[in-house]
Amino acid sequence: MKNKISDKREESIISQLSALYMQYGYKRYKPGCFEEYSLYQENKDFLIGKNVITFSDLNGKLMAMRPDVTLSLIRHSDVSDKSTDKYFYNEKVYRQSAGGRNYKEISQTGVEVVGSIDGAVVCELTILICKTLEAVSDNYILDISHMGFTEGLLNEFPSNRNTISEYLKAKNLHDFYLLAAKEKYSQNLINAFEIAVNACGAPENALNQANSAILNSTMRDAIAELNALYELLKEFGFADKVNVNFSATANADYYNGVIFNGYVENVPHCVLSGGRYDKLIDKFSKRGGAIGFALYLGEIERYLAKQNETVDYLVVYSVETQVQALRTAQKLLSDGRSVRISIGIPAGLGYKKLIDLTEKEAT
Amino acid sequence: MINIALPKGRLGEKVYKLLSDIGYKCDEYSKDSRKLIFSDKKGEVSYFWVKPSDVAVYVELGAADIGVAGKDILDEYCPDVYELADLKMGRCSMCVAALEDFKDDLSSPLRVATKFVHTAEKYYNEMGRDIELIKLNGSIELAPVLGISDVIVDIVETGTTLKENNLKVIGRISDISARLIANKSSYKFKNGGVLSICEELRKAVENCD
Repeated sequence: MKNKISDKREESIISQLSALYMQYGYKRYKPGCFEEYSLYQENKDFLIGKNVITFSDLNGKLMAMRPDVTLSLIRHSDVSDKSTDKYFYNEKVYRQSAGGRNYKEISQTGVEVVGSIDGAVVCELTILICKTLEAVSDNYILDISHMGFTEGLLNEFPSNRNTISEYLKAKNLHDFYLLAAKEKYSQNLINAFEIAVNACGAPENALNQANSAILNSTMRDAIAELNALYELLKEFGFADKVNVNFSATANADYYNGVIFNGYVENVPHCVLSGGRYDKLIDKFSKRGGAIGFALYLGEIERYLAKQNETVDYLVVYSVETQVQALRTAQKLLSDGRSVRISIGIPAGLGYKKLIDLTEKEAT
Repeated sequence: MINIALPKGRLGEKVYKLLSDIGYKCDEYSKDSRKLIFSDKKGEVSYFWVKPSDVAVYVELGAADIGVAGKDILDEYCPDVYELADLKMGRCSMCVAALEDFKDDLSSPLRVATKFVHTAEKYYNEMGRDIELIKLNGSIELAPVLGISDVIVDIVETGTTLKENNLKVIGRISDISARLIANKSSYKFKNGGVLSICEELRKAVENCD
């Protein structure tokens, strides 16, 4: 039996995922730890946190500790619309933690595909996302949205675009209704916004509802792409883990297609995010498209550790029974069990069975 | 089990009453108890009583699946949560107030005293007015009276405190009321429970209106 304890630990997840990505023919990308600060300054809206650790190098050039891997990859790789390159990485990034006030070293694993992007690439990447989330937890949900649908909708509200975008992200219908009454929005627009907020959950139903919210060709194309993706996911057995959620959006200056947000049970925030970001390639004056995702492992380890601090056997020994404890443990370990040997019962560790070798010594 | 964070005080008690009326009653609950956590016997819900300004933190970090927070707090801290319903309680306004004889001097930055730094910054940024912020934690009305600020940005309920300190409202930023918020992960993994409480609360609020 495979040892379940370490399966969901950071190191183990990383090695499982590296093997998975290599199996799909992805090449490992290993960037340097430092980049010129200007790379992040020019693309600060692409980053999760705006703050970057900076320092001057020996020539006085302003450098930064890498807060993100995607920007380095796009800057340094040859992107061409004639071919497709597939990369994965396991790196540390340096940025503010979610909701935190300090800089942190965060372990991040991700996949990026650059160049010519077609339906097969998008489907394969979605499957890889599902498998990535599965490596973290058996109970996961992948939210899928499409920038074409949300941007197409928001374009219909030119004078209150930002406000409506905030309402969509927060699923805030009550304030939307007040604004709609003030601005005298048509019933058609109100219905479309309601559907965008409420069409959330199993794709078949949500995409059907979304069909009746289509206001323009951008939205129509987006729904057609999501439907095609859903059909493929169904065929490959991943459809039941996918949710449609149009409240999941990303920065429209960079993202332009399918958007992904992954959640696992018992972790209160999004653990994986990504999507199609052809517009970033444009910003680097390169030709082609790009799609990718990142799993923020460093941000979730504390939640995973809490669930996994349990061993199959706890062997408690005394000074006299040390060797006996080692022998007992070795036997159990060779049977594939997890074992902790300890001179007392350690605080905070769960165990299924206790083998007490102190009692023997007493008798 | 749905964990619900309620703001300590009158508003929280009112929301609890509404929730217990629609079936989420907790026998352990007593108004005078100093206990901070109550669970119902059926194990459907559990209530936490927290400082009103902390409700959004508890919900964003997942300690509570849903909670009730003022729109002022949501606008100020922008927590990454869903805002599912307006409970139409605790109504007031976020306002700009100044001394009765105040006249804005556009030749220098406006000195703004407030507890709501982000809200004030956003309001004046949108207006294109240069400001100097003074962060205070209470008795904001004193700032213009003692001359350390030109205006204040604060919550106004009846306006009595302003009047008594010779201040008047010179701008209205937004309407405030209590909102039902939900953790984004709980919204997915406890979807049925979260949505049914939300729907029943919405109906109850409509009936109260």
